[in-house]
Amino acid sequence: MATSLQQPLQLCMFDMTRGQQDGQELDKILFFYPLECPLPLQLSVIGLSEGLITFSRIFSSDAPCEVMEAERHSHIFYQCEPEIWMIMVVEKSKEAESSIRPRALQMVLKEVHGLFTMFYGSVRALLQNYPSEDVARSCLYAFFPDYISSEFMNGKKLKLPSVKESLTERGTVQSLSFDRHALLEAQSLVNLLKSWLGGGTIRHVLILYHNHLVSSSLPAGDTARLFVYALLRMTPSVIARSSAHSSSRLFSFKGYGSPAKTNAESMQNNNDESLNTPASSRDTSPVGQRGKPQVPRPLLQDAWSRDPDGFLSTDAWGAGARGGSAVIPSIWLQQSEERMQMVAYQHKALTLLMLLPTNASVGGVEGLSLLRQQLLEKAVQKIEKLELTLTREWGGTNSSHVPGYRYLYCDLNNKMSRSSPPAKVSTLSKDSLIALNSVRTEVDLEISRAERNDNGAGRDLEFCVRAHNNSWVAVRARDGHELYLVLERASDTLLLASEAVEKFNKRYCDGRFASD
Amino acid sequence: MSSSSSSSGGGGKALRGSNSDPDAAADATRSFEAISESYEELFAADEVGEKAPCYLPHIIIMSGGLDEEAQYHPHISAAEVCSADGEDAAAASRVGVKALPSNGSEKEDSNDEEVAAEFSTIRLSAESDEDVSEPFLEVPLSQSGSSGGTSGYVAGSGSSPASVSSVSGLEEIGDAIAENGCRDDHNLQAANWIPGKRHPDEDDASPSWRGHKKHFLILSNAGKPIYSRYGDENRLAGFSATIQAIMSFVQNSGDCIQSIRAGNHQIVFLVKGPIFLVSICATEEPIQALQRQLELLHGQLLLLLTKAVDKCFEKNSKFDMRPLLGGTDVVFSSLVHAFNWNFTTFLHAYTCLPLPYTARQAAGAALQDVADSGVLFALLMCGSKVISIVGPRKASLHPDDFLLLSNFVSSSDSFRRTETFSPICLPCYNPTAFLYAYVQYLEADTCLVLITTKSDGFFHLKECRARIENILRDSCVLHEISSSILRGGLHVEDLVRIGADSQAVNDRTGKTSEQDGRFCFSGPVTQAMQKVSITGGPAGLWHFIYKSTYLNQYVASEYAAPLHTLAKQKRLFKTYQRLHASMHNESASFHKMQYRRDENYVLLSWRTSDFELYAAFDPLAEKNTAISVCNQICQWLRDLESEIFLLEPTAFGCQVFFHSATRILMLEHCLTLLFRELEVDQHSQLCIGNISYSYLPEV
Repeated sequence: MATSLQQPLQLCMFDMTRGQQDGQELDKILFFYPLECPLPLQLSVIGLSEGLITFSRIFSSDAPCEVMEAERHSHIFYQCEPEIWMIMVVEKSKEAESSIRPRALQMVLKEVHGLFTMFYGSVRALLQNYPSEDVARSCLYAFFPDYISSEFMNGKKLKLPSVKESLTERGTVQSLSFDRHALLEAQSLVNLLKSWLGGGTIRHVLILYHNHLVSSSLPAGDTARLFVYALLRMTPSVIARSSAHSSSRLFSFKGYGSPAKTNAESMQNNNDESLNTPASSRDTSPVGQRGKPQVPRPLLQDAWSRDPDGFLSTDAWGAGARGGSAVIPSIWLQQSEERMQMVAYQHKALTLLMLLPTNASVGGVEGLSLLRQQLLEKAVQKIEKLELTLTREWGGTNSSHVPGYRYLYCDLNNKMSRSSPPAKVSTLSKDSLIALNSVRTEVDLEISRAERNDNGAGRDLEFCVRAHNNSWVAVRARDGHELYLVLERASDTLLLASEAVEKFNKRYCDGRFASD
Repeated sequence: MSSSSSSSGGGGKALRGSNSDPDAAADATRSFEAISESYEELFAADEVGEKAPCYLPHIIIMSGGLDEEAQYHPHISAAEVCSADGEDAAAASRVGVKALPSNGSEKEDSNDEEVAAEFSTIRLSAESDEDVSEPFLEVPLSQSGSSGGTSGYVAGSGSSPASVSSVSGLEEIGDAIAENGCRDDHNLQAANWIPGKRHPDEDDASPSWRGHKKHFLILSNAGKPIYSRYGDENRLAGFSATIQAIMSFVQNSGDCIQSIRAGNHQIVFLVKGPIFLVSICATEEPIQALQRQLELLHGQLLLLLTKAVDKCFEKNSKFDMRPLLGGTDVVFSSLVHAFNWNFTTFLHAYTCLPLPYTARQAAGAALQDVADSGVLFALLMCGSKVISIVGPRKASLHPDDFLLLSNFVSSSDSFRRTETFSPICLPCYNPTAFLYAYVQYLEADTCLVLITTKSDGFFHLKECRARIENILRDSCVLHEISSSILRGGLHVEDLVRIGADSQAVNDRTGKTSEQDGRFCFSGPVTQAMQKVSITGGPAGLWHFIYKSTYLNQYVASEYAAPLHTLAKQKRLFKTYQRLHASMHNESASFHKMQYRRDENYVLLSWRTSDFELYAAFDPLAEKNTAISVCNQICQWLRDLESEIFLLEPTAFGCQVFFHSATRILMLEHCLTLLFRELEVDQHSQLCIGNISYSYLPEV
């Protein structure tokens, strides 16, 4: 088959349990980007992926294909749910700086699937609850293009992750170390909110300050996902940008039918009918709750706006059943496996995300307005005070900068990371970034190998590499904690470089990586 | 190697094999003239026509007794190989039966045969089934230089009983242990490395086949299996077709598949014209190393057949190449085996047998003596180690060519017993043409290879060999060689001894001396070095590799405790592979220096325009002492340079290479001034007396 892959990015999801009979191959495709990609090409990409997975299972049954490298493309595989695969095909560029380590791309797939699940529930559940797979497809077709355009589109041009991102770690929360006093204040605010309405109504609270997490009562995974979303759509800077645009949209599934139409119209027999079939007992999806074919699009540009009273509102989850007020946004928590309504409040740089169970006593529009009122009456003072305290402490956008170092420190157990501010990272030379990327590629391999082979014991690694341009790239990894440093002081010897790393370790990582 | 019953050959008159029947040998002598008359240049076959297959001579002369009675072993004619009963012909050849050409009277029917007629196969004579195990089994533990080893080089002298020589048969056993899936078995005596194919009865349906840690497969672009490391090629046809389907699918989309990673497994693909090579392994080797191994496998294929096989595939895509490779399983298996222990396989450099400078010079002179008389390359080697190489002025022997050639020679036992003249191709030198190699072992492991372009050069090369052998014996070079073999290579613990011997910290006049038959070095020692000896050498030094970039040569220390088990040696080998790949990263312009620590080692590697150093230390070793030990190694090796490397002779005698960083610092300044004073071009050489200095601005 003479097909050519011209697109710089292809992203697809397919279900290996479907379409196993001849003539039903289309059935396995759940999502394909670019949307206008012709069906034969879609089938060829998925067919190849399926072949590679089956082939690699011959030898490695428990861990099938992760990456396929070809001369001109990298294929990244991610089994997001049992037998449901996401494939990302990235065109290789001749410039070394644009090719990023495969693990970073895999993290993109992980992130987008994590976000999808947070809003819609798992793909498998969608497929099971709505046996004709149109609902799952329409959710995917509603969500993925939004994600791609917000993450990879720079205007109309596709901008894929590059080595410039080597000092970031997707799927982690950027934290800032605020002092004890501020944290206590934040905690007391959280306790106050949680105690309202008989307690337990507000189940979880997330507090963000600018782009940094201050406090979260959610488990690490859910925190990270919600944090990523807040960063994309809810931080003060994003809201400020979006309020500049007008925002009046109604998002019905039908209005956004074009991608689904291109994707095998024949399979999309009757949307309304499928949506009206009663959902099974464990409905994780927001879609079936309303009798209308509405698909939330939480990643839509300018999804949120700030009301005059400080609350953030959105109509991205669609208009209400009665065509009146917007649907209350809700998210699915993976750890506790429950759906929560989300209420957001913003005061200057401070953003508060409050999660309420969908079956809460104060549910519905009336209940929420009660909550809003209570917050405005009883908590605003506390919020303002916290904001003041944090502003006093915060050293500005470059507060995380450590002179002389460009660094990334991740605590993968708690999904937290701290890194040099992007403005400072961009001062690094291209060569340093490329060297860092190649060292990280190796570290990724070493660590994943250790994870597979070891009996849970973390790997203790130390790298110190002098790159071609005389900069030093240092890596320390121990028990799920990783530290990456780039030092561009050319005259340093290995000993001096190691000393600098040690100093950083003592000062900013609590001496976690001490070699003795 | 698949066992098959012997028959009297597919067609034509058959000759008895080399070493059992004197009558047959005489028979062979009689037929010799006839053959040389019918012999045609290999690639003239096109013009000669389909009905006149060409024949390559494969002369084997009994080394003992039958000095003048040359026994002639032509290659099996292509017609026979590919004829309907080709299986029998191949089988016959394996038991030493060589068929006479049938004067072109064989009628060839199929397309394949016509195409194949351009070829003559390389047959390794005297590989009867009963022969296979015998010589290989005697290798392992006998450390006396005189016993015949498969890999040729028996190092690791009695002077260090704990040390296991890096290239000795023991290593090969270790491979067998690991390959057979009982990795923790350190009982060396119990295991034997058996060359040739193992597990021939398996196929892709058998779990044991799937469980092998490292597969190599060669197939044609039509999906026909050509070689598989494990299992029967015929039974792997379906599996090959699957691989071919995947590769072609990607090719059709205008791309080319390179590798797949799946858990601990890596699958690496290489497309070489009509030939596909695949490696499937779970050995933690970097992809670059695996790609290179596939390149080498392809090189080995070319060494046997030249690039002209491509033409066969052009003419007939369903061409079956396997008959052409009959009996060469042992060559491939020994190469695959070398991927586990031979640093050449990833360093792009060869290593030399340590030898006193004068002895090596004498050997070089002896080879040079014949080089002008129509000999293209003259090599004196010891297993995988070079003693001396002489070649044409403008082309030196590529390290890969040397690796493939030495593997070809040492993997086949027949070379060891007899004087041999065999067509070979040096893929880096010229992948399209056959050369002719005259091979003769002078001593147990010392082998002389003379390569010529002339297909009828046997008797001339035989004379050359006699001349060289006489010179080497008269000048005691052979004696020096065997004592060097007994001594073994460099030992890390000798760096400790330096510490004990020397008091002068700043004395920079290190001298080489021989103590207890080993190379020792007395030179400057830092205090840090004196106080530490954790395990292994100074500061916990366990092992090192040093590669001279200019010379394309490396030297590695002998494995010593605590690297005394094969599992540990293999692990270190793979760690070196990863370190090397990291230092030579294609996407990032290479790294200059690297320090790594994990639970197994502290590793230091250092790369300058002159040299590359890779050193492995105890995981508890300290950075500063490790660094100073590395400096010591560089200095030590610089002092030994004339003995551990083959220095290319220059018009002015010897060329001095300043490798040690400390010396460079010291000399750089003086030389810069001097060069400026003399107003010479920065890249030119300066000759003072009989020493030439090169100015290297980067240093």
